[in-house]
Amino acid sequence: MKRSLLLILFTLSACESNQQQVSIAFNVEFNGQPIRCDSESPVALTDLRFFIHDLELTGADGTVVPTRLKRDSAWQNGAVAFIDLENGQGGCDDGTPESNARVIASVSSDSDLAGLQGLRFTLGVPFELNHSNLLEAAPPLDDAAMHWHWRSGYKFLRAGVETDNDSFWFHLGSTACQGTTGNISGCDSPNRPIVELAGFNPQTDSVVIDIGRLFDAVDLEDGERSDCSSGPTEQSCPPVLATLGLGPEASTIADGVFAARPRQATVSQ
Amino acid sequence: MKRVLLITALVVGVALWLLYPRPYDWSLAKGMPTPDVPVNNPMSSVKVELGRWLFYDTRLSINGAFSCGSCHVQALAFTDGRRRAVGATGEVHPRSAMSLVNSAYASRLTWANSLTASLEDQALTPLFGDDPIEMGLGGREDALAELFTNDQRYADLFREAFPRQERPGTVINMVRAISSFTRSIVSFRSPYDAWLAGDATAISESAQRGEALFFSERLECFHCHGGFNFTDSTTHKDARVERFGYHNTGLYNLGNTGAYPADNPGLIDITGKRRDMGKFRAPTLRNIAVTAPYMHDGSIATLEDVIEHYARGGRLIEEGPNAGDGNVNPFKSEFVRGFELTEAEKRDLLAFLESLTDEAALSDPRWSSPWTEATAAGQPPESAEPQQR
Repeated sequence: MKRSLLLILFTLSACESNQQQVSIAFNVEFNGQPIRCDSESPVALTDLRFFIHDLELTGADGTVVPTRLKRDSAWQNGAVAFIDLENGQGGCDDGTPESNARVIASVSSDSDLAGLQGLRFTLGVPFELNHSNLLEAAPPLDDAAMHWHWRSGYKFLRAGVETDNDSFWFHLGSTACQGTTGNISGCDSPNRPIVELAGFNPQTDSVVIDIGRLFDAVDLEDGERSDCSSGPTEQSCPPVLATLGLGPEASTIADGVFAARPRQATVSQ
Repeated sequence: MKRVLLITALVVGVALWLLYPRPYDWSLAKGMPTPDVPVNNPMSSVKVELGRWLFYDTRLSINGAFSCGSCHVQALAFTDGRRRAVGATGEVHPRSAMSLVNSAYASRLTWANSLTASLEDQALTPLFGDDPIEMGLGGREDALAELFTNDQRYADLFREAFPRQERPGTVINMVRAISSFTRSIVSFRSPYDAWLAGDATAISESAQRGEALFFSERLECFHCHGGFNFTDSTTHKDARVERFGYHNTGLYNLGNTGAYPADNPGLIDITGKRRDMGKFRAPTLRNIAVTAPYMHDGSIATLEDVIEHYARGGRLIEEGPNAGDGNVNPFKSEFVRGFELTEAEKRDLLAFLESLTDEAALSDPRWSSPWTEATAAGQPPESAEPQQR
């Protein structure tokens, strides 16, 4: 009895030590150029925060490498990771000083990290967690700024930019949900795009979200307020949702909204 | 020996009576149903009292200048007299502040959100929402918990209101207490209620004629504004079925497409169903005379004009971005068909609507700001007191 218990304990600890960590870096660009909250003209970031889940890496032989999100006290809860690419400065003054530009996942220690050649994840919060009570949720799902009380779920993504004459923001989340808060049975527009980056290697690449491509159809100079909160009647929404492969005008995620880029800074050191 | 037993029994009895949780006293009028209360937030008078302090506390806002009571003024049946509400930072809300009176009986909250069925869920939007900012409390959760723990008044009230919790000064308990306070605001003391209870002179003969008109098939008002709370979205503890309704009343018909203005499309924004264009919840008509301006966007100034709107069977807007004839809105309720009304009948109908005003509720000290008693300026005492050096 004692022996089998020891064996189990040993196996369990072996499981832990059989894992190795993978850090996946995220970055933001605007039409291929750097963009920050305190960027000077022509365009500055005002917001970029999002949740991801169902992360998968592809191994050298093209098969899926089992990947788990690590759990920490602030950014990841094991099922969902929260990326925050604003820093509360400049035009991001509705944001927070804390940022998080990476996801930590674990894969089996016998995985060949150098040979990884693909990344896949889902943007947003999974349905099972999306309609829980904000005030009882643990990090990272306890952030009121990422919650849509009136739509009874989380904002999967907040993105915004400003120019000298104009600004635009976009909030993504599930809409057309049925039931009542606390008892949501489903949503006609779940709005959880799946991002696939072929050839991505976490040691040499970072994930770039290009907010210029996301807002490709938005006129950022006309000075008209036309933000999009994923509402079914908002005229500004369909072309933005379409870039993520969502809504009536959509097919797949537009080229370049998410892309793999060499991690210059890390690689050059 | 017998006497000892008797005394012991008496002492035990009194002790049990004292310890047994007393059901909350709603002070309801006779025959009125008890509200349905979420099981995880039972009513208690101390929780209601805590909610009252919180409801009127301006520290519960992004800039310390704003409280729930800023948009929900008791004398106006907890509305604000504005066309559209204005938040702490000056952002204008797309819709008008709704009355909180008898919200304990609302099967759905707010103007057009079928997802929101409890005050606890609804409260999060004004407290934490950022589009528009109302109270703007997002990101201030830790500071609030600190206030509720360190402020002696709050520390005591939270402990009494949530006696089984080790650390009761939390944001979720704040939401529960504010919801309990809001739920406690019940109104059944209008002249019309007195008339219903048998006081034949409580309302004028004109109002009595107006009542008959209100409940007539000719005017159809009662289909959406029926029942003891004058709205079809009403529930209570013993309700057998869940009732709620949303109605397009022909207020708009942009370009005669059926569309409502983009910032206020109605229930369609939540359901995504085209048939829900322009549909809003019928508010209670209790105290309706003091809650001008009217409709979800405050776009009708007076009750007379509201009656005109329904008499026409929808509003005609001749020019401008909202031009269109609401009368032919394809999504309009079948009950908004229009009617002819003489001037005398119109006065009767108004007299009836005015008889629904519950003056006692509009000045009841149980629902007034406690801060005005504590301080002259109505500010929390901590900020109103002279600085100690």
